[in-house]
Amino acid sequence: MKRRLFLKNAAGTGLVIGTRLPEFCSDLALAGPPPKLSHVEARYYRKLPDREIICDLCPRKCRLGDKERGYCGVRENIGGTYYTLVYGRPCSVNLDPIEKKPFFHFLPGTTTLSVATAGCNLNCKFCQNWEISQFRPEQVENFDLPPEQVAVQAEKNRCSAVAYTYTEPIIFFEYMYDSALEVRKKKIRNLVVTAGYVNQDPLNDLLEVVDAVKVDLKAFSEDFYKEYVRGELKPVLETIKTVAKSRAWLEIVYLVIPTLNDKPEEIRQTARWVKNEVGDHVPVHFSRFQPMYLLKNLPPTPVSTLELAREIALEEGLKFVYVGNVPGHEGENTFCPACGRKIIGRFGYRIENMDIVEGKCRYCGHPVPGVWS
Amino acid sequence: MRYTMSSSRVVLIRSRGIQPGLGKLDTAAIHSMFDRGFKLLTGQSNAQQAVFSIFRPGERIGIKINTLSGKEASTRPELATGLAEWLVQGGLKPENIIIWDRMNRELRDAGYRLRTGRDGIRIFGTDSDGIGHDPELIGHLNIGSLFSSILKNMVDASISLAILKDHCIAGVTAGMKNYYGAVHNPNKYHDTGCNPYIAELFDSPPVRSKHRLSVIDSLIVQYHRGPAYNPRWSEKFDGLIFSLDAVAADRVGWKIIEKLRSAAGLPSLRDEGREPAYLHTAEKMGLGNASDSKIELIEETV
Repeated sequence: MKRRLFLKNAAGTGLVIGTRLPEFCSDLALAGPPPKLSHVEARYYRKLPDREIICDLCPRKCRLGDKERGYCGVRENIGGTYYTLVYGRPCSVNLDPIEKKPFFHFLPGTTTLSVATAGCNLNCKFCQNWEISQFRPEQVENFDLPPEQVAVQAEKNRCSAVAYTYTEPIIFFEYMYDSALEVRKKKIRNLVVTAGYVNQDPLNDLLEVVDAVKVDLKAFSEDFYKEYVRGELKPVLETIKTVAKSRAWLEIVYLVIPTLNDKPEEIRQTARWVKNEVGDHVPVHFSRFQPMYLLKNLPPTPVSTLELAREIALEEGLKFVYVGNVPGHEGENTFCPACGRKIIGRFGYRIENMDIVEGKCRYCGHPVPGVWS
Repeated sequence: MRYTMSSSRVVLIRSRGIQPGLGKLDTAAIHSMFDRGFKLLTGQSNAQQAVFSIFRPGERIGIKINTLSGKEASTRPELATGLAEWLVQGGLKPENIIIWDRMNRELRDAGYRLRTGRDGIRIFGTDSDGIGHDPELIGHLNIGSLFSSILKNMVDASISLAILKDHCIAGVTAGMKNYYGAVHNPNKYHDTGCNPYIAELFDSPPVRSKHRLSVIDSLIVQYHRGPAYNPRWSEKFDGLIFSLDAVAADRVGWKIIEKLRSAAGLPSLRDEGREPAYLHTAEKMGLGNASDSKIELIEETV
């Protein structure tokens, strides 16, 4: 079936089509029938009597009978063996500026190959990518892109890194892990953009093969996580601490949602926790919320709220605090914590000036934490 | 329909002759069970009156079945077609009846022969060409979903013809949880013992506005280690449950499961920490009666 026919049929069935087609690499276009779901045995699960299993990948610990899928929608118990259905089956493959992830202290101005499959182990009411994250793999268009091809495409497109992103990469752990090994062989970096809702064993294994992790800290309250994320805060904080202790570079994003997680006291608690638990050098991005998915009743975050959040975090002693999703805002730039000069100028995803030389401020020589080459 | 003080009628019909051999159902016995069940449920003396006390002439009826677990633990095809034929005999048009579930593959695996023509009773899945999920995202209480176009756009009234089973997460899967097969993201409804999600999904406009009747296949009941088929804990029960109150129907199903578990020396679902709490939630939400004192149970053997 040609791609056009597949799309027509898929549209007819009401299926949601991944819109992020990899136009930059024509050899990825679907030439035959849409690839079937994968049936690669999953890692991190235990077999129980009577063909039941328990998944140990994330704190949800889904206990599943035969023919049932986990909360993520992409891992299925078939006859007592647990399978990932999305190994080598991304629904979204794209070239992105690394600033879009966002990583601000990791190879600025470079391009990443972004890869995602369907599915997520959370259900955030404000999800920006719900049309792939909240769907099952058979409900979206998938590509056939095995791990070695991820590396090939990244190299071909001169990417500095492959980013496992958009949905929740933890749920395609096996694919991400094996891709990361292939990508490393080509001296290309691996980035993970995650909500951090993962168990420690798989996380520690993952940290052996990736170079940077951006964690979405969605609030600093268990109530918020329960009601708006369908997860828990505590394991996410553990993830952040574990990443901070590893060799991987860490950045944190906090999406500020009006009335729900924007109280100055909560921002202050967050900043204090970051400083005390993982260090004042860790970049924190306060990003602007846009009405989306199940939270269309709230307005976009006022810029003044983001500015206040940044001010509070700086007051608390964090050194690199950014305002996100407000192109052209002063808070997009990096300032030297010693001399105060602008050392990376940004406009949206574009780098306007880069005054870090060999990891130090060009003006005063103060070291700037990050991965710069 | 919202329930307040009044009691709910549930009819349990059993037929010892319905399963004359392994995997076989006697069609005459099926017909008798539906005939008696509908008449007792509605208090009407003939099929036509019984049918039109529940449905209006010209209405399009969806019969939502559960075919997740293959031939052994899915709604039996003979029952689904038997119900459809009985409704036709009662005066509904065959072309206005759709027997459906989420996937054609699962329907076939459960023994259904797909029928998609314009004439006669139709049988197909939401994933059929040109069907799919309606693109409107409906957020209701905790979760948002796309709903099957069959339920949302192609039928006026819905019958939940589920199969009664133990469920490792919810405790019980029966008529209410059957609607998990109507949304694109059922995996998101399985947290915390599926509670409050079974009740919330049932309360969502596409379900609540169309659900008219629960008929629960209790011919063979998986009373432990469900919802997959496990012959060791599967029992011939030869029953069908009928009710206009989905909560009360499920409550009676739960009691059957507990009875079979007790007979087999198994702990109760409550003792296993799997009590189907969604029923209490549903009752609190006004979706039906889960309290035995508010359920009028009529049992009969045909």
